[in-house]
Amino acid sequence: MSKDLTRRELMLRSITAGGLFAAGSLMPVSSALANQAAGQSTTQTDAHVPATIVDGKVVQPRRELPVLQKTSILVVGGGPAGTAAALSAKRLGVDVTLVERYGYLGGLATGGLVLGIFPLYDRDKKQVIYGIGEELMKKLDVLKFGIIDRNKAPVYPTIDAEAFKYVLADMVLDSGINAYLDCWGVDAIVDAKGAVRGAVFESKSGRKAILADIVIDASGDGDIYAAAGAAFEKVKTNIGLISRIGNIDEVDMAVGRGSEDPEHPVTGQPGTGRPSKGRVNDLNGHAGNSTPAPHVNWLNMKGPVGDALDVADLTAMELKHRRGTWGNVEKLRQKPGNEQVYLAETAPQLGVRLSRLLDGVKKLTVQDIRGGAKYKDVIGYSGAYANAPEFQIPYGSLVPSKVENVLAAGRCISTDFQVGDITRLIPVCWVTGQAAGLAAALCIQDRCKPRNVSVTKLQNLLHQQGAYLG
Amino acid sequence: MTFLRRVPRRVIQLTCFVGAVVLVWPVLPWAIAPRVFVQASPFVALASSIATRSISLGVVFAVIVAVASSFKKRWFCLYLCPTGFLLENASHMGLRKSRWWDKCPPVGKYVAILTLVGAVAGYPVLLWMDPLCIFSSPFAVNKATNSISVILVCLGLGLLVAGTLVFGMLWCVRICPLSGLQDMLFAARKALWTRLTVTAPARKFQVARRVFFAGSGGALLALWARRAGAARYRGSDTLLRPPGAVPEDRFTGLCIRCNNCVHACPSKIIHPDTGHEAGLAGFGAPIIRYDADYKYCLETCNACTQVCPTGALTPLDLQPKNKYIIGEALVDNNVCLTALGKKECDACELACPYDAVKITWDEEQYIAYPVVNDKCTGCGACEVVCPTTPVKAIRVWTQKPA
Repeated sequence: MSKDLTRRELMLRSITAGGLFAAGSLMPVSSALANQAAGQSTTQTDAHVPATIVDGKVVQPRRELPVLQKTSILVVGGGPAGTAAALSAKRLGVDVTLVERYGYLGGLATGGLVLGIFPLYDRDKKQVIYGIGEELMKKLDVLKFGIIDRNKAPVYPTIDAEAFKYVLADMVLDSGINAYLDCWGVDAIVDAKGAVRGAVFESKSGRKAILADIVIDASGDGDIYAAAGAAFEKVKTNIGLISRIGNIDEVDMAVGRGSEDPEHPVTGQPGTGRPSKGRVNDLNGHAGNSTPAPHVNWLNMKGPVGDALDVADLTAMELKHRRGTWGNVEKLRQKPGNEQVYLAETAPQLGVRLSRLLDGVKKLTVQDIRGGAKYKDVIGYSGAYANAPEFQIPYGSLVPSKVENVLAAGRCISTDFQVGDITRLIPVCWVTGQAAGLAAALCIQDRCKPRNVSVTKLQNLLHQQGAYLG
Repeated sequence: MTFLRRVPRRVIQLTCFVGAVVLVWPVLPWAIAPRVFVQASPFVALASSIATRSISLGVVFAVIVAVASSFKKRWFCLYLCPTGFLLENASHMGLRKSRWWDKCPPVGKYVAILTLVGAVAGYPVLLWMDPLCIFSSPFAVNKATNSISVILVCLGLGLLVAGTLVFGMLWCVRICPLSGLQDMLFAARKALWTRLTVTAPARKFQVARRVFFAGSGGALLALWARRAGAARYRGSDTLLRPPGAVPEDRFTGLCIRCNNCVHACPSKIIHPDTGHEAGLAGFGAPIIRYDADYKYCLETCNACTQVCPTGALTPLDLQPKNKYIIGEALVDNNVCLTALGKKECDACELACPYDAVKITWDEEQYIAYPVVNDKCTGCGACEVVCPTTPVKAIRVWTQKPA
């Protein structure tokens, strides 16, 4: 023990005395992989200054962060909203950098196994979400086992996670976006006037900065706008973990598909009878829902209410959900006909539904959507969900009420809790992502702040990219 | 001279007929007009007041009608009754012109006695034979969701018109309980008058045989029907009555099938029963079915409870109406998309206007499913949004004691 301590102290001293090598700077994926030979090894000592203990308190020494990149638009988060923002902005010829925490793109739609693409349709079963989302689905259409149930309203499409990872990787590689994966955006860079100038992220290359004119916070949790001092509402809701199970017959009990089938599990049991009050029925084994992969179902999980910004909660969920899912699949196997069911995978990412909700220029409330509110700055629609009709999303719900140079996209935009429960869904994230990307590009082109973007120009651009605005 | 005397009656009749249509439609901004219209019948007012042991302000008109009719024989029939007007005109076009019904006994009187004695026992047996109620019924036709409902709401008046075309004025003269009651009122007033003005030895009180049979028949029928109704309710899983409905044992008797509630419902969820829910006794009485798109018993509406002329649906203000239990929502986890991990669905929880449904995480089973608490009124908001098919995972069932 004492030997260890001495060694650590020794190391500390030697490092504070001065670094030997500068850390190798990261290059965007597009060029980084090209000129590297395997097996090269050099002895290095990191120039990094670690945290230390001063008067019993852990202290991070003040230090300069290397600037990895200067860019026009920085998109933090490579989920549905982030990729939509980056792809649509890049098409206007603007310099775009995309930072993603995991090693793949698609966020919850791929890593979270949220494979159901809904809500896409209005009450009259008309599709109201197009634009980049429709484009992505069209790319999936041509892939074998890429997507099922396209254009079968009110049944909504289900995608394959790997197919979607492939589509996004393909598009981002071809787009010229500077993408950094395995990079966790952790802080905002804010200038003396309080305006956002970029973001700090952690990666295997250490803590680095990316300077940007406009930052799009598509982190899902609003990490960047929160760090920059934007006001937000913190909410707690259920956190689950989706999984995929194999060797299970396809079953769909939602409206439409399969209901005419005499072999349909519910049709086969007409009027299942009066359920007993306050008692949980034994599940009959029809778990999960079909995916493009044959005999594979995706199994959703509601999960308990948790704090998505608390690492203890997240850890507990990660562990308990995986144990619980294994147990449920074992239970499922006990049902006749399900003996060969196996757990194919649990999602790499927890299914965090909502955490932070921005206080934006316009906070979209449940009264607004019930009343069918119309907005001059409409940037797209959400489809009808449960008893909520389709509704317009205003640009104001992407813009923080006070902090400059940052836009929210995805589930962390400015809504109340009930509306957030709809705007968090995959296709709506495509809508807000695309709008945020185009608005940021307009800021660059017109040299203006996000709150001063010309709504007419933004709507024209959205139209040009095929978005539906009513 | 006769011509001049006839014309005013025609004019009064026509005016009353148009007035009745206006009241029942209802085109007036007076929501309870259809109720007041049917309540103007002394037969309905008297029997329902006895059966519910309460008097509504709406009986004022019935008292006026009753008093007038006791002085001029069948004054109401001759001048005011819109059904009578309709049937009188039908009889002019009909096959039989002779007064062959003179041979028929005055059935209406015994129907009235039977019903009134039944009302004392809480079940006004043949109250639905009231002519104003039969007139009111077809106006619900625009709320009919299928051809069977159309037939049901038009059945009463249709049969009367058809019957009159074939048999002449038999209904009005001999069968209608309202005219029977008027005859009794007239006779009673006369007897009383004679008693007061002419000094005669007091007559021995004697109940006519027919009156005795009608009365005791009414009492027996009422008791039997109430027992059967209670048993039927216990045995049913799907019988749902509109909000404010009195307990099932009395409901089918008090309900006169006027269809005012069917007509009043903005959600079109109230339907006349074809008999499959509550048998012959409940034929034509209103039931609730949640099968129209997204239509449930609105938390902003108490229209049906305001238009019932007999108190079969107790008049309730919005707040008590929203506490009235129509049924109970129960969840079948073997169908529920959330319980089976099929979809991201919390439609029922979102739809519930009373915070009665909560998707609840069950740590033991490691699944979530909707749990219904005792705030549930059975309004059906959850059932109509539940996306499963052909069976809904959450459905409103007849309430059972815990």
